[in-house]
Amino acid sequence: MTGTDTQSSFLGRISIRRNQVNAMDGSHEQEIEDLDLFQKQVSDRFAEILSAPDDTPFDAFLSISWIRKLLDVFLGCEAECKAILLMGRDAAQISKPPLDRLIPELLDRVVKALDICNAIANGLELVRHCQKLAEIAVLALEQKPFGEGQSKRAKKALVSLISAMHLDDKEGSAHKTTDRNWSFGRRGGNKDRPLFGHYKSLSWQVARNWSASKQIHAMTMNVVPPRGPEASGLPSLIFIMNLIMVFVMWVLIAAIPCQERNGLTTHLPIPKNVNWTHTLTGLLEKIGDEWKKKEKKGMAGLLFEMQKMEKLGQSLIDFTDSFQYPGEKDKVEEAAKQVAELAEVCQRMEEGLGPLQMLIREVFHRLVRSRTEILDVLDQGAKSSAPLV
Amino acid sequence: MGKSQNGENLGTETVSDGGDEQNNPDELSSEPGFKFDQILKDVDQFIETLDSGENNFTCIDQFLEMVDSEIAAYELRKASAKFGLNMEEFFEAVKLLWTIIRRLEELPSDSGATSCLNRAGSEHHRAMLLLENEFRTLLDINTDRNEGETKLKTVEEFPYFSPESVSIMNRIGSTMIFAGYEAECCIAYSGLRLKALDAELSKLSFENINVDDAERMSWESLEVEIGNWLHIMKHCTNNLFSEERTLCNSVFSEHPSIAQRLFCELSTSLTMRLLNFPNALVLPRQYSTEKLFKFLDIYEALRDLNNMEIGNYLSAKEFMSDTFTVQCRIGETAVSIFSQLENSIESDNAGRIPVAGGAVHPLTRYTMNYLKYACEYKDTLEQVFQKHNEMEGLTVQKVQENYIEKDDRFLPASPFALKLVEVMDLLDANIEMKSKLYRSPSLRYIFLMNNGRYILQKLKESTDIYDMLGHSWSRKRTSELRQYHKLYQRDTWSNVLQTISHEGVQVNGKVSKPILKERFKNFNALFEEILKTQSTWVVSDGQLKSELRVSISSVMIPAYRSFVGRFQSYFDNSKQAGKYIKYQPEDIEELIEQLFEGNTTSMIRRS
Repeated sequence: MTGTDTQSSFLGRISIRRNQVNAMDGSHEQEIEDLDLFQKQVSDRFAEILSAPDDTPFDAFLSISWIRKLLDVFLGCEAECKAILLMGRDAAQISKPPLDRLIPELLDRVVKALDICNAIANGLELVRHCQKLAEIAVLALEQKPFGEGQSKRAKKALVSLISAMHLDDKEGSAHKTTDRNWSFGRRGGNKDRPLFGHYKSLSWQVARNWSASKQIHAMTMNVVPPRGPEASGLPSLIFIMNLIMVFVMWVLIAAIPCQERNGLTTHLPIPKNVNWTHTLTGLLEKIGDEWKKKEKKGMAGLLFEMQKMEKLGQSLIDFTDSFQYPGEKDKVEEAAKQVAELAEVCQRMEEGLGPLQMLIREVFHRLVRSRTEILDVLDQGAKSSAPLV
Repeated sequence: MGKSQNGENLGTETVSDGGDEQNNPDELSSEPGFKFDQILKDVDQFIETLDSGENNFTCIDQFLEMVDSEIAAYELRKASAKFGLNMEEFFEAVKLLWTIIRRLEELPSDSGATSCLNRAGSEHHRAMLLLENEFRTLLDINTDRNEGETKLKTVEEFPYFSPESVSIMNRIGSTMIFAGYEAECCIAYSGLRLKALDAELSKLSFENINVDDAERMSWESLEVEIGNWLHIMKHCTNNLFSEERTLCNSVFSEHPSIAQRLFCELSTSLTMRLLNFPNALVLPRQYSTEKLFKFLDIYEALRDLNNMEIGNYLSAKEFMSDTFTVQCRIGETAVSIFSQLENSIESDNAGRIPVAGGAVHPLTRYTMNYLKYACEYKDTLEQVFQKHNEMEGLTVQKVQENYIEKDDRFLPASPFALKLVEVMDLLDANIEMKSKLYRSPSLRYIFLMNNGRYILQKLKESTDIYDMLGHSWSRKRTSELRQYHKLYQRDTWSNVLQTISHEGVQVNGKVSKPILKERFKNFNALFEEILKTQSTWVVSDGQLKSELRVSISSVMIPAYRSFVGRFQSYFDNSKQAGKYIKYQPEDIEELIEQLFEGNTTSMIRRS
């Protein structure tokens, strides 16, 4: 995991300093110090993942590999934030105003993030489905000698692939029945008809009226930088954590197909005049622009591999459409290059999707655990007043 | 003259004329123009003698034409009923086509085979498309019966396929896999099975619930959802998974590793859907103690799920890891709910007002009944606490208190058993504390006896609790009760006994009448006082009540009888005697029977 060493030494530093403090009310200066350190960590880590070297295109921005790094960074920041919040503090300290409002709000956002994790995990199934279709196309297109049979096979797979990529945006809710327009009722039925039917089987696993864009919108509410005397210290920490969490969830939704992303906001409450937020703002703009460009056309998410697959897929569909045995030499060569690229995308997906899925689950469980831990601490302070459910 | 499928001449067979030939592909091969068997023979021979020199591909062309017509005819047939009883021949032809292609591919590219290969490839894809579409149609049982069109013969039970359908799917699958279209076949299968499983879950009223929504739900709503979920889980672990596995094995009977992989993937997908709900129980903090049992039910359902064999394929790891994680979380919840019990006991102050009449305290009742019910889930609770200890890195110290005597042996106590002991100790301490609210020592002892006896009774009713606490625990309890009994007896009755003691009645060797009168007066007063008070006390356990009365009687009555017998003659006359000796021994016996009835109006005989 990226930055594990820096993380563990960070945690070590904090715990040492905690032990040094005699007064249990945690001096304010120390809070500020911790916070500064944390801000720097966040800034550094995000800057690191923003600068992907050019010679490794598949670690490109919004690729599977890049997203995995982003999630690693998120987990690291989350752990540190929690450490600062909880280590050496008792319930009284974290339930005084304004924390008595800020912390429950944070935990609410965590719950919303959990739903997003579920939706994303679900969306990765679609990505895997696309991978399988692409692999068929590659298999067919790599055949030697290459004939019309293989061409038709590839085209069928690619058409399914493209339509799978576009279906999710138009139809959001689960359990819509398939229209069985692929049955061969007519004479001489169209052999190349794309098979819409089978994608619908990957129904969304979120509640019927859930909307990713609404969820993000809800999460951004009330995320405001703390002002005045509260501006340093724990309220700031919480603000940063909120920001990071919202940002990461937003990136995931933009990248990976999930239910109902229409109208996804491209504005997040990232303050512009603070130096450590430069990287976040930069990323936000970049992704936001891409989103706006593609949203109108309908698309399956900005995931680098999916975008590439779509582009290559369209091009290869054109190739197979016009292919007649034995085919024109230059077109065949051009196609071969694209097939090789497509094969590489598939390979990346094969290597990266599994670990990404596990990482999403890890984020889910980590958020649950942290939430429980924070609630536990709060509980100890408010034992008698908490109503029994 | 027509030929039957195996080439025999059957004089009675009707000859299909040209107009019908498109409608009956099964008998296509019996058309004179095709000479099916001959073509096959030629092809086989051709393949055998294939070399890189000049080859005459005519017989291949003929074969391709034949296959083309067959495919066309099948395409025209009604979907899902394309392949009838005589489909084998077609499948064999398709396989043969693939074999031809493979052989032709081996030839060098200048052998003139290439255009033949191209045609063959096209035919092949067309055949595969036909097969795939039929495969999909067969698989896509429309479970929404309201659509009106019932197309396939189905059976009533999940997965609703007739054996014939399965058999055809099997042939199609085998052929597609043989012919290089394994990927399409598997994608179709997985996709449609997942759709069917989702439909099946819908039928069971399965609905996805957001974590966000679950957080806000009232317990009443949540309880309903839990019940529903448990029902669905049961159906899945008992039926759905095994039916699905059987189907996979039937459809892909010739390819067990593919069957295994597909089943593994499907079960993992199904499980992910099922785990959404327990994962959404992200848990507001304080669940009250009664909620324990629902969570234990959930835990057990997850354990059953986890115990299912879904194979070793890669996705199984994901399945197991997630099931395991959520099972642990639910277990942790159960632990924390159970611990609520301890909190409840400790904080039960009864408002400093003791229970009237020294009766069994409601907390004692609640706790014992709760534990009795909890022990019906004993095995699960053992697991849950064991796991909890492991996760917290707690180890049970090997000290004497942590060993439980069972069947004359001392065994280390399980984490749950120790927890149970903790709860019982807390209860004891609480009862002890409450007993001190009584100013009367006798009432205190009655209270302690009542509660102690109730606890022991409940233990007897549940061998599980009894075993977990061990023999020595019960023995200790029982001897404590005996002790309280003795103390009670002494506190209440020793003074009374003193009044009817033979000693001290005589002065200078002569019975003193004043002392005698004083004695009787005192006896009456004390006895009546006791009656008045202790009749309002409550001993609900019948056996304890009679034990108490019997032990009082067995001491009091002989003592009284002997005193009265000895000294009543010293009164001047019966009138005087009657004034002091208010009670006869039989009266005492009767009155003792009124003790501990909980009567608020005392019934004291006035004479």
